[in-house]
Amino acid sequence: MKIVVGISDMKVSNNPEDVLITYSLGSCIGVVIWDPVAKVAGMLHYMLPDSSLDKEKAQLKPFMFADTGIPRLFKETYKYGATKSRLVVKVVGGSQIMDSSGIFNIGKRNYAVLRKIFWKNKIMVTAEDVGESGNRTVSIEVGTGRTMLKVSGRGEFEL
Amino acid sequence: MSRVEEIVNLIEFVQPFPKVARRVMELLTDPEVEAKTLAEVIQYDQVITANVLKICNSPYYGLARKVSSLNEALVMIGHEPLKEIIVASSSAAYFKGEVGAGYALEQGELWRHSVAVGVLAKHLVGKIKEVEPGTAFTAGLLHDIGKRFLSSFVSDDFELIMAKVTQEKASFVEAEKDILGITHAELGGMILKRWDFPDEMQRAVQLHHDPEALAGEPLTALVALSNALVISAGIGVGADGLATRLKGEGLRRFGISQPHLDLAMVSLLEELEQAEELLRL
Repeated sequence: MKIVVGISDMKVSNNPEDVLITYSLGSCIGVVIWDPVAKVAGMLHYMLPDSSLDKEKAQLKPFMFADTGIPRLFKETYKYGATKSRLVVKVVGGSQIMDSSGIFNIGKRNYAVLRKIFWKNKIMVTAEDVGESGNRTVSIEVGTGRTMLKVSGRGEFEL
Repeated sequence: MSRVEEIVNLIEFVQPFPKVARRVMELLTDPEVEAKTLAEVIQYDQVITANVLKICNSPYYGLARKVSSLNEALVMIGHEPLKEIIVASSSAAYFKGEVGAGYALEQGELWRHSVAVGVLAKHLVGKIKEVEPGTAFTAGLLHDIGKRFLSSFVSDDFELIMAKVTQEKASFVEAEKDILGITHAELGGMILKRWDFPDEMQRAVQLHHDPEALAGEPLTALVALSNALVISAGIGVGADGLATRLKGEGLRRFGISQPHLDLAMVSLLEELEQAEELLRL
């Protein structure tokens, strides 16, 4: 079954028939994790870097922000038997419009926060496709971990 | 006939904006206009009548009780929201079907993008105060009308346009201009002119991809900003992706800084959830 991950949303599955997919990542970031032994996959589509912007909102929608969404994504897969050391981690998105002033650098800030969280928690990134000005759609087959990425102007390829 | 002439000549065949909608907008310029007078005009358009009732009862306008007649709705709802409903229900038809295929947009995505820019522009009137909410919503909703009519031409030269964007790092409208001789923004401005929309709105649509837009007229800045944020959020974004140029320095004069933009992204999702009825028009 195709399971769609919306904006500010997260899904985890251990059904080998499932495909997790999130559409149209602009400055948002998609984090895709997979445990090859437990055969569990998780996908997060967060929009903003920092929950301190709106604490109340972060309570209601933890997947909106990197700092509240990323830990929950990992913990959710542990419930299905995934372990941190085995996880294959892929990161996509974080594009931005062409602006030299830096005010529209939401994508860049989204990525910087993720890097910091991963560094603190000793998480290695297996593959990534971030930045520039493309629009990305990413999917993962839960059974095989096969991750497909579609980028505007670059077509579709395996990540 | 050149490519540009061929494209511009098409404007002659663009259906006029619905008469009833234009008449109501005219009536609404008088703040004293009575609901009865409005109802007399609106009742001749069944689509608009049905939509007024449907949307009045939606959470977006949060009326205290359900309304069941046009008269009652018009008394309850107030001029600005009525303008929005009239504009949205008259515009929806232009965005139906495979209208954004040339931009690799799925059905309904161009409309979703348009509604998102409309509701966000209205929301940001709190920051860019010289603009009326109804004007903000209308200009936002119609900013990409040019895509509707340029789509098939973009489709014809898709590879050339994309090559310019990916290999030469051009923005998508720079590639449109270079390959087709006209951008969807310029074409949109011409269509609004043909529909007799106010000059200020024509310019906002025409200039919404101008890199200097944020330093321009308030309405132009507002539409360009809303569009940039909706594109960043990935709502109704096609092959053009985020390949648009916009100088952020212009936001300073409105006192808008980074946290405001982040908060606007949060609001955008909320507003869009509430505007579900508009999406279903």
